[in-house]
Amino acid sequence: MDIIQILLNGIVLGSLYACIAIGFSLVWGVLNIINMLHGSFIILGGYLAFFAWQYSGVNPVFLLPIIAALLFGLGYLLQYFFINKVVMSPVLTTLTLTFGLDMILYNLMTVFFTATPRRVTLDLGTINLGDMYLPVDRLMGMGLALFLTALLFLVMRASKIGRAIVAVRMDRQAATLMGIRVNNVYAITFGIGAFMAGAAGVIFSMVFPITTNLTGTFLGKAFVICVIGGLGSVPGALIGGIALGLIESFAGYTIGPQNATTVGFVLMLFLLIVRPTGLVGVKGYE
Amino acid sequence: MKQFLYFGAFALWVALIAATPLLADNYTIRIAISIAMFSAMAVSWNFIGGFTGYPSFSTAAFFGLGCYAGALAQRNGIPLVMAWVFATLFVAVFAAMLGAIILRLKGHYFAIGSIAIVDLTRLITSSWGSLTGGGDGLNVPLLQGSPQEVSALVLYVMLAILIVAFLTSIYVDRSRLGFGLKCISQNEDAADMVGVNTTSFKIVAYTLSAVFCGAVGAVYASWVGYIDPTDSFSILLTLKVPVMVLLGGAGTLLGPVLGAGVFVMLEEVFWANFLEWNRAILGGIIVFLIFFLPNGLLKIQYRTLYGALVQKLRSAPKQAEKSS
Amino acid sequence: MKITLKKRLTVAAAAMAMTMAGSVGLASADDDVLVIGAPLALTGGLADEGKKQQDVWKLWLDKINAAGGIDVAGKKMQVKFVEYDYQTDGKRAGQLAEKLINDDGVDVIMAPFGSGHTKIIAAVAERYQVPMLACVASSVSVYDQGFKYLFGTLAPNTGMTESMVEFFKEKKPDLKKVAVYGRDDVFPKAMATALSKSAETGGLDVVYNELYAVGTMDHSAAISAIKSADPDWVYMTGYTQDLILGRKQLADMGVTAPIVTMVTGPAYREYTEGLGDLADGVTSSTWWHHSTAYTDAVGPWSTTADFYADFTAAYKSDPDYVSASCAAAADVLVNAVQVAGSKDKQAVRDALAATDILTFYGPIDFGENGMNQGREMPIIQVQGEEIKVLYPASIANAEMKMIK
Repeated sequence: MDIIQILLNGIVLGSLYACIAIGFSLVWGVLNIINMLHGSFIILGGYLAFFAWQYSGVNPVFLLPIIAALLFGLGYLLQYFFINKVVMSPVLTTLTLTFGLDMILYNLMTVFFTATPRRVTLDLGTINLGDMYLPVDRLMGMGLALFLTALLFLVMRASKIGRAIVAVRMDRQAATLMGIRVNNVYAITFGIGAFMAGAAGVIFSMVFPITTNLTGTFLGKAFVICVIGGLGSVPGALIGGIALGLIESFAGYTIGPQNATTVGFVLMLFLLIVRPTGLVGVKGYE
Repeated sequence: MKQFLYFGAFALWVALIAATPLLADNYTIRIAISIAMFSAMAVSWNFIGGFTGYPSFSTAAFFGLGCYAGALAQRNGIPLVMAWVFATLFVAVFAAMLGAIILRLKGHYFAIGSIAIVDLTRLITSSWGSLTGGGDGLNVPLLQGSPQEVSALVLYVMLAILIVAFLTSIYVDRSRLGFGLKCISQNEDAADMVGVNTTSFKIVAYTLSAVFCGAVGAVYASWVGYIDPTDSFSILLTLKVPVMVLLGGAGTLLGPVLGAGVFVMLEEVFWANFLEWNRAILGGIIVFLIFFLPNGLLKIQYRTLYGALVQKLRSAPKQAEKSS
Repeated sequence: MKITLKKRLTVAAAAMAMTMAGSVGLASADDDVLVIGAPLALTGGLADEGKKQQDVWKLWLDKINAAGGIDVAGKKMQVKFVEYDYQTDGKRAGQLAEKLINDDGVDVIMAPFGSGHTKIIAAVAERYQVPMLACVASSVSVYDQGFKYLFGTLAPNTGMTESMVEFFKEKKPDLKKVAVYGRDDVFPKAMATALSKSAETGGLDVVYNELYAVGTMDHSAAISAIKSADPDWVYMTGYTQDLILGRKQLADMGVTAPIVTMVTGPAYREYTEGLGDLADGVTSSTWWHHSTAYTDAVGPWSTTADFYADFTAAYKSDPDYVSASCAAAADVLVNAVQVAGSKDKQAVRDALAATDILTFYGPIDFGENGMNQGREMPIIQVQGEEIKVLYPASIANAEMKMIK
């Protein structure tokens, strides 16, 4: 029976991982930017959820759209006024810039929120199936991961802005000639990335203690997941996240928790070398 | 002539740092050691990041491995200097082997892979408790002598590493290797086609970017007397060093030294005066650097800047007249 | 032309270095002022702990100043703290200790929170032969390097785990299986290792014994394994954020052990706040609890109750062991200076080594390695909204409850 529990643990954890990575993967795939701000975006979403809950008592799930929208605004502005200026530069420049911005955001958060771990203490309980346990808040994380993936899929397929993003992704010059305002499209894409981070943060505020100490951990997970799942395809982050969740879960159970994270990194490096396009592998957000 | 001036500026700077034990107190010497340390690492990084144009973020992995290799060698009875040499060689071999694998990646994938190396080495170090002490860290035998003697010794060793690194970079810059690396930076496929052995050139550059960091790490470990995985393999360090090089001017000879010096001193000033905000201020410097000094301090067109300024000053009164 | 500019720039940088060297403040070598240096983690991962140290020293200093200073060899001596933020960065911690000794001319150093950073600073203090007091470092590995100038006010971990095993066996006679799960970091690892040893010596069955890496963000795999081992007692160590997550996941995964111990979780308010009802019933051990009642103590607070009253008045919350131990370290220092009759570093060091006094925090008597000698350390439990003391009997104010 243990095996099934480990499997479930892995899938549920993997869904949380997917929540971390979806926005990061979109930004990397479309803008070609490794967004070092991503971990801080998630934590910011979590803090906003915590303080809104503490102040108003409203369940963070209902606040999710508002907080995610705020993050969208922040992401849009950052891209429009800062990152767009260097968006065509080599990775060293864009990565360094987002790292610099992250240092500022991180500092603001520690000053205003302090590093004290905080959690929304709404315990939603756990679903008990025979010997199996499925915590409700984590299932909500799973729901969010599926929802975000579906949303992204729909936006890319069916909306005007989605087609514009795909067009810019395929050929920036041609898209410009077709009258697409590339800077605006970039800003919207980055905004969507931040939106997804914010949404993840809201759910995480019930699952994890939120503290600025976690920003680096989240970012590291996003790296690994994107490489495992592959960039540029909508389901890549979901598949990569679940794959990593399963790997860590089984590794933690068999060889011990101390080495579980290491296994994820080793696998990532291995995949980088033999199959840099990841498990899913299509290029571009077509 | 140009080379001579490079030597001159560098020699002057090194002489100044070397003179701190005679002129200033131990805390200033400590800053001088930081400058020498970071300069050596920045010059190192310049081989792969500056000349070759590969966005490598594995500096902290090399530094950390140097710390641990040196500390473990010493704990196993190898004399001090031999332990440092051993750590340096160990890191060089590690980098060469790693480079052969990881340098097949390009651009973003290389960047991510090289950051992952830092996390991976940290995780392995911390879980291999029987060898490395794991999360407990390692006590390293303290350097003997009075504080003044120890600081001076560490400073001169760090400076020696910096000098060797700098001379190597001059040599590489003038040699066929440097030419090849710059070709790779321009266009790797074309370089390959005109007969540059890109694979081995890149591995050499990557190894050079590691070897001095390893040496610095080993000496650092002996100096502080205690190392642990979190401090030795720090992501902040791995990102700071490239920023220093960018600040000075990537791909130039003096840029990394200048950038590291300015950065360490700026950090010192901000950190002493703005306790709560120092991280944001450093972030602000990075943002400023990317937008206003994209090529670093060395590549500013000072003459044009000066000319523009003079022109502006001259035209200002005229405009004032017009508007009145 | 361009090249001379480069050179000019280099010279400018050099000049900047010189100015900086000059502008760094010179040490105040005043004989009437005892200068205490404290590198603190006011930002970064350990910011909360650093803040606690800063707060309690401020309280202590106000008290000293209100009395007009301290009496040393028939004269009043003023006390001054010099504090810097080392941003939870080990490299900076060492650098700052050096700055405190050289630029600020401190007479003694107070170590920051945690065994790891204490080690780094101890190496600097030892080199300069400056006495150093560590008030939040309890791992024996900090003290076993033969350092002569290092003294710690916390007692060794091992005493804690042995009395805990005995106490739980007494309260729950059918206690048999224990699962130990610790963070791979200096102090949490030491505690986990010590407990699994004590449990084995005490005749218990250690059914699970693993460490988790720093930065682990999920414990479900380990907890599933713990669940299948079906322990009566789960013992987990780590920092507050790990323990909040661990407690929540234990509940999520349906682990129903009647005893759950988390070190040092319940000693901190953040822990119970982050868990709400889930914190109920969790036990822990700590070095000090405010319901201990020492009287006739040296220092500005002659009883534990006085300290508690002053602290709660100033900060509206209960002091924990960090606050108490750090304030006591300052008392010990003052006592040593008084005994030595001056602030001469060697004399103070010798006086510290000979210390055998009672503070509001408890007796302090440094052993051969500079560590405070073991004594009975409290076991606490979260009961409802409150933290109750279960052990030792002399200060216990509640019966232990099993988690249902």
